[in-house]
Amino acid sequence: MSALAEQQQALLNALFAWPADVAEASLLRLAEGVGSRPGRGLQAYQANGHALAERALQSAYPVLAQLMGQDGFADLARAFWHAKPPQRGDIAQWGGGLPEFVRQSAQLHEVPYLGDVAGLEWALHQSATAADGAAELGSLALLTQHEPQTLSFDCVPGWCVVRSRWPVVSIWQAHQEGGPAFDDVATLVRQQVAEDAVVWRSAFKPLVRQALPGEAALLDALQSGHSLASALAMADDLDFSQWLPLAVQTGLVLRVVPWPSTSLGEPT
Amino acid sequence: MIHATTLQTMSALDGFTQTKPASTAAGLGWRQPHYAELLEKRPALGFLEVHSENFFGQGGAALAVLERGRCEYPISLHGVGLSLGSAAGIDTWHLDQLAHLVERCDPVRVSDHASFARGWAAGAAVHAADLLPLPFTREALQVLCSNVQRVQDRLQRPLLVENLSAYLQWSVQPGESLDEPEFLANLAQSSGCGLLIDVNNIYVNALNAQLSGHCPDPVAACKRWLDRIPAACVGELHLAGHCRVNDGHGEIVIDDHGSRICSEVWDLYCHALTRFGAVPTLIEWDTDVPPLAVLLDEVAYANALAAQTWRVAA
Repeated sequence: MSALAEQQQALLNALFAWPADVAEASLLRLAEGVGSRPGRGLQAYQANGHALAERALQSAYPVLAQLMGQDGFADLARAFWHAKPPQRGDIAQWGGGLPEFVRQSAQLHEVPYLGDVAGLEWALHQSATAADGAAELGSLALLTQHEPQTLSFDCVPGWCVVRSRWPVVSIWQAHQEGGPAFDDVATLVRQQVAEDAVVWRSAFKPLVRQALPGEAALLDALQSGHSLASALAMADDLDFSQWLPLAVQTGLVLRVVPWPSTSLGEPT
Repeated sequence: MIHATTLQTMSALDGFTQTKPASTAAGLGWRQPHYAELLEKRPALGFLEVHSENFFGQGGAALAVLERGRCEYPISLHGVGLSLGSAAGIDTWHLDQLAHLVERCDPVRVSDHASFARGWAAGAAVHAADLLPLPFTREALQVLCSNVQRVQDRLQRPLLVENLSAYLQWSVQPGESLDEPEFLANLAQSSGCGLLIDVNNIYVNALNAQLSGHCPDPVAACKRWLDRIPAACVGELHLAGHCRVNDGHGEIVIDDHGSRICSEVWDLYCHALTRFGAVPTLIEWDTDVPPLAVLLDEVAYANALAAQTWRVAA
């Protein structure tokens, strides 16, 4: 290893190791912090990392932060920073592993829905910067001209379905203006009412709502490359005449497209 | 009011050789709290600076805002995550994102820092999301030059590279290390990049050296630092505020971009103007971002200082 690589690894170890005593001692044999004490500069970098971790995760997970409270969320951010450090130079890309980290946390087992709420929030965070999509409403005419086994839908970039055994949509909405009362949501939690969420972006606004019966199955099938006819067969709970206007008007479905789009045919 | 005092000091300046007229109004670091207000008021600014990484997405509101800003002002893309000095090299994903953004908004300048953040910790690849200091060794210079050249080759344009506020000093054997101005001058000469000189960073480093007992006169040290930078290499100046922290860990000066620019940094800015000529100047404020009017006041003051510099020069 080159001298430079060794120096850089020593500093990175001192920033991410936890506890950091050994790594700090190794670093301070290679460098000296500025300020009134030798270790003061290193502490400044460590503190900056922790503050950045909390700020970045707060931005992506505002409801999780509210559910955990300021101190609990700060502890979580710090633990995640050391366990799963960023790997990219865009801090907004960091944090996708937090839902699983929360699910695996022994300390958070008593609040079993937190991981799913985090999963919903990460989906919203991702959708905010997904590619822009433009609707082609004229393509809806294809539905009256062709059989559904020859058609499919293009949904807006960044959409996804988040499945949960908990009332994640209600929990999330309770933390938004005009959302349901906490007491009502607490009842849903006690009853462990499962809710699947549909996440997508309308213009520039990430949105979430509870999936209609059968909608998650339909969207999953379309995403897997099935034709509309095949997808509908997998979603027999879905009221298609109710869903389609809603999906088009709210920008989830952008256009109807011929199927198959490739010569590969329908997935098996 | 520190501004009037500093202007008087400026009037008394003589002996500098700068004769170029100020051709560039100061620019502003454009941050989310001021996205809408700035587009609505459209104040006179030389340019808008944004952090490149905040616009790495494929779409969405931030990019749409940047597109609108670009219609009104020149855009300067300032990165914080390229990790130009990393021995592990440049992240291809990051460079691809930056190249896409450059193509999309055709900025007047693209810049990042003489720092590293990428590497290995506990056997895993990490990015510290910070501007970590390099040793000013020949080896670090070679790595930095190579990485800068890779970025420039990809972007097909020269990069500006900024000096840091550094909170660690690497211990190297005497004779193995350059000093910072020499290191940066060599970087510019070898790679063809320009230099972005952050005046506040120089002063923060000098204040911290003073706390360590190494720098009895920080302002004089900063002027000597500026005097050793080749003027032709300088493509942009940055100005910002800093804070002094004194807690259980000890005392340190932090480059937090969270307050008005202090009188000493304004004085150093005047010195830089006389040294480097009419280079674009940026007012940065990233922590506890104040009302837009406060930032515009700092911009106006930077412009006034520049105008006075050129009047005195004439």
